[in-house]
Amino acid sequence: MAEEKNDFKKKLKVFTFKALKATIKGILVYAVYFVLWMVLAPISTYVPSLQQIVETFFIVYITLMIIGELTSGTIFQHFFNAAKALFVVGYLILSLKGGVFGIMFQNIYVTIDLRLFLATVMLLSLLGLAKSVLQAVNYMSEKTEIQRI
Amino acid sequence: MQIPIRMIGLATTFFWIFLIAFFVTAVYSVKDLHFDFGEPQGNITPENQATISIPISIQNNGLCKISAFKIITEISDNEGHLITHGLTYIPVINKDEIVDTAHTMSIDINEFLEKNRNFLFNDAELRIYETVGMRIADFIPVQASANLSMPWGAPLYNFALGTVEYTMFNSTHIKALIPISFENHAFFDLVGNIQVQMYNSANISVAEGQTSLEAYRNSPYQGYIELYILTTEMPESGRFEVYLSTPFFNYGPLVMPYG
Repeated sequence: MAEEKNDFKKKLKVFTFKALKATIKGILVYAVYFVLWMVLAPISTYVPSLQQIVETFFIVYITLMIIGELTSGTIFQHFFNAAKALFVVGYLILSLKGGVFGIMFQNIYVTIDLRLFLATVMLLSLLGLAKSVLQAVNYMSEKTEIQRI
Repeated sequence: MQIPIRMIGLATTFFWIFLIAFFVTAVYSVKDLHFDFGEPQGNITPENQATISIPISIQNNGLCKISAFKIITEISDNEGHLITHGLTYIPVINKDEIVDTAHTMSIDINEFLEKNRNFLFNDAELRIYETVGMRIADFIPVQASANLSMPWGAPLYNFALGTVEYTMFNSTHIKALIPISFENHAFFDLVGNIQVQMYNSANISVAEGQTSLEAYRNSPYQGYIELYILTTEMPESGRFEVYLSTPFFNYGPLVMPYG
């Protein structure tokens, strides 16, 4: 009975630590969003959908990050990390319309070519995906080793 | 395997921070980029080339340099035929640098009016396609384009020969006084000669006369041209052929029937 109580306490402690870590990480990413938005705010007057695009991105990213943190120590953490990397690639491709997008401002049509930026983001996200796959492989191999011992 | 994973993680984080900082800096730099377009200045060279020059001042107070800065202007008629184009290219504008330049276009008025005679007599709208492009920090190409229109004023708007007045000049000749009227809507003064040839119905020239022309921009012109016709050859009907000769263009014949 006492052992079960101790086990529950231990699990609660671990979960609280994970939740705390996830909260701190979430706050940090939100702070990044806050600073980034202060810089991008003047542009949002010309691109009305920019705020929604950025907000949606950060909401999904922070959610995946928190779930990933809460499931740390399990294989699901690596799934969520991989999902996070894939989400960044997919969302940026969709929201940036393949890297070249245009804005009509009064009589002026402005075209911004972000293909080079998008390519760099994709490479970095693929690196993140590779890291998640390696972590998953490492997690499984470590688990198998422990089971054998 | 832990060390390579950590290394990948560290490298990814470092590059993410670098990329976001770089991108934000580049975007933020646009805010401190100032363009100042001056009043367009028109000029006509001795070779009858009309030159339109727009002074431009570019002030780069941003954090990144601007490269491949270009301004392209294409002027075409209503049907989309290109009349003239201009290109201004600045390879690099470094940060905290002010570049003063001029965007220049030239039109050979003589050639233009020879090819597009409609522009001599009718006002029109010219289409202007303007493009401004640049690369921010050598990384983000940005381009802005606009379609504009510019009114074209015809130099011989409403050109007409009035009712001819015939009077006896002497026993052998009749004096014909032909009123000429038009409005010069063009941006230039029209100075030159106008020549009228009178033909009878059998296509034989019976008289010829010329006068000097001085029509100032945006003002109407009214003048007369005198012709002396042999009384024996006085036609009842036929045609006038009008020829215009100015420093900008030569035009003719403009056929106008009479009688």
